Amino acid sequence: MKIYHIALKEVSKRKIRTIYTSFGIAIAVSMLISVMITASSGQREVFQVIARYGHSLSIVPVDTQTQQSLKSFGIGTGTYIPEASLPEIERVYQSAIIAGWEKMGALIFQEGTIGGAAFPPPTFAPRLYEETTVKGKDVVAGGVVLDKELIARFWWDVAEGRFMEHEGEVVIGRLFAVGTETKLGDTVDIGRNKMRVVGILRETDSPDDYMVFMPIKTLQTLFNKQGKISMINVRAMCPKCPVGEAAVEINKKILGVRATSQMEIATAQSQIFQKTAALLVSFVVAALIISSIGVFNIILGSIHSRLRDIGLLKTMGASKGQLIRLFLYEALFIGITGGVIGFVIGSGLSYVVGPILFKDIVIKISPKFFAIALLLGTITTIAASIYPATYASKIRVAEAFKSL
Amino acid sequence: MSDSILVIKDVWKTYEIGDERIEALQAINLDIEKGSFISIIGHSGSGKTTLLSVIGGLTEPTQGSVSLDGADVWKLNDAGLSALRNEKLGFIFQFSSLIPTLRAIDNVALPYIFQKRNNTDIYGRAEKILSILGLSKKLNSFPSELSGGQQRRVAIARAFINRPSIILADEPTGDLDAQSESEVMEFFSEINEKEKTTFLLVTHNMELAGMTDRIYRMKDGILTNGG
Ligand SMILES: Nc1ncnc2c1ncn2[C@@H]1O[C@H](COP(=O)(O)OP(=O)(O)OP(=O)(O)O)[C@@H](O)[C@H]1O
Ligand SMILES: [Mg+2]
Repeated sequence: MKIYHIALKEVSKRKIRTIYTSFGIAIAVSMLISVMITASSGQREVFQVIARYGHSLSIVPVDTQTQQSLKSFGIGTGTYIPEASLPEIERVYQSAIIAGWEKMGALIFQEGTIGGAAFPPPTFAPRLYEETTVKGKDVVAGGVVLDKELIARFWWDVAEGRFMEHEGEVVIGRLFAVGTETKLGDTVDIGRNKMRVVGILRETDSPDDYMVFMPIKTLQTLFNKQGKISMINVRAMCPKCPVGEAAVEINKKILGVRATSQMEIATAQSQIFQKTAALLVSFVVAALIISSIGVFNIILGSIHSRLRDIGLLKTMGASKGQLIRLFLYEALFIGITGGVIGFVIGSGLSYVVGPILFKDIVIKISPKFFAIALLLGTITTIAASIYPATYASKIRVAEAFKSL
Repeated sequence: MSDSILVIKDVWKTYEIGDERIEALQAINLDIEKGSFISIIGHSGSGKTTLLSVIGGLTEPTQGSVSLDGADVWKLNDAGLSALRNEKLGFIFQFSSLIPTLRAIDNVALPYIFQKRNNTDIYGRAEKILSILGLSKKLNSFPSELSGGQQRRVAIARAFINRPSIILADEPTGDLDAQSESEVMEFFSEINEKEKTTFLLVTHNMELAGMTDRIYRMKDGILTNGG
């Protein structure tokens, strides 16, 4: 038998007290763990998105005459980029990216390969915007190349129905649907065409929510805008590509367009994750401090109720150091119990909290969190026990026996 | 005297509670030879427990000195006092003194755990002492599962585990039946003879006192020779 055996027996024989104490720690640990799991799961998703899609550029005609009603949307109609200039834009973009890599010291062996690793080609998603009226309301119709659009705006999804597959089908934004009282399956008049609504977009918090979408070819034909596009959305598909330099090059070399590197949605999202997580973590740290004050009280109380035992141990020759060790071992075991319970509850909690904070989150619990829970549990409990343990070790035998 | 194990010089202990002063020990002088078996008798409240506490480094005297096996007990630092209690002293208390969360055998082994040079397996010895005291079947019982007399015998066994040079026994057989009492006394005498362990036995029982080498009488904090 060693000192930690005495502690272990004390902790395991006094189950109620142990569970009561560990529970205080477990609650705080579980909160922290659930927040951490949620945050890291959310962030992992965001970074996967960045890794897969990279940054984006938007290219618009220089002299866009924005109409007052559309200005707030940031959507220009009335001026166009010739569709024929797309290959030239792509060429300038690509050589700017490669030049940028070279400037950063990367080795380019062949096109599409950086430092020996292949990267996917960028996606150029063109759009045409046309103003029109639907059910007496002014709206904007958007022509898109669907497969490219789904990459460039990877958050695009239908909330109801499906994306258009055949001629004469359109997908509408959620607010368009509400504003014009249009439902899935309804027919809407756009220009001189009757088109069927086959899908409603999931809300994007962007002008897309007010729009009606169809294939770009259909819209071009409908409004007699063959060969014209209103803007191009470029998705780099490579997180480290020097997109900013490509924008500069395009602006320099291609007349009549202006390329801007978009504020990276994924980064923005990730910052929100981080801020939310930081806020929650600070709440939880406060909870951890409060609960360690609780543990401090419980342990101090337990020491008072065991004055007689402490006195006895001293008469048997237990030194100050040995008594401190005894109590810190007890704290360690209580902390481990609290950490384990906290981890279990916290993991469970993250399945509840995660989806509330971030929709579509996939919770992933790595062993790292178990280690964190154990560390938190033990460190807090031990920290809360240092004073009580030291206090106990200094109690004089005569005083300890007075309580008899 | 060169083979004195315990020398007490002019020890006083005064308790002050409010205005009241209790002279629990008054001018105690004592010189005890190594290996002797001494008994102390006296009425309740006469100061017997207080004397043992002062000797064992539990209660600081108001005045005077206690020298145990050459060491000035009340001049030792904390570590020295712990070591002294651990290596030289065996306490048997008047009150129940087991750790409730430990089995009988662990309670007995406990002082050994606090030894700095602890390496051998002490359980064989703990089991042997418990068996001598008639508890071979109760090794794994917790104190709450033992009778008062059994608990007392476990506490007695514990006092011997570290082979102390002096045993301070405060009414050790108080709650034992006559049979167990004489068994315990027999065990004491055997240890006293074989290992030259010194015994200071506080008792109310004149018969037990009569079996010892010398009887001291305590009265109102004053120790007198004879019985
Ligand atoms: N901690 C204390 N504070 C105040 N007075 C005390 C304290 N301990 C003992 N006394 C007093 O000192 C005197 C001696 O007490 P002590 O316990 O030594 O008696 P005792 O001879 O052991 O008695 P008993 O046979 O009943 O055990 C008593 O009057 C008691 O009230
Ligand atoms: Mg007494």
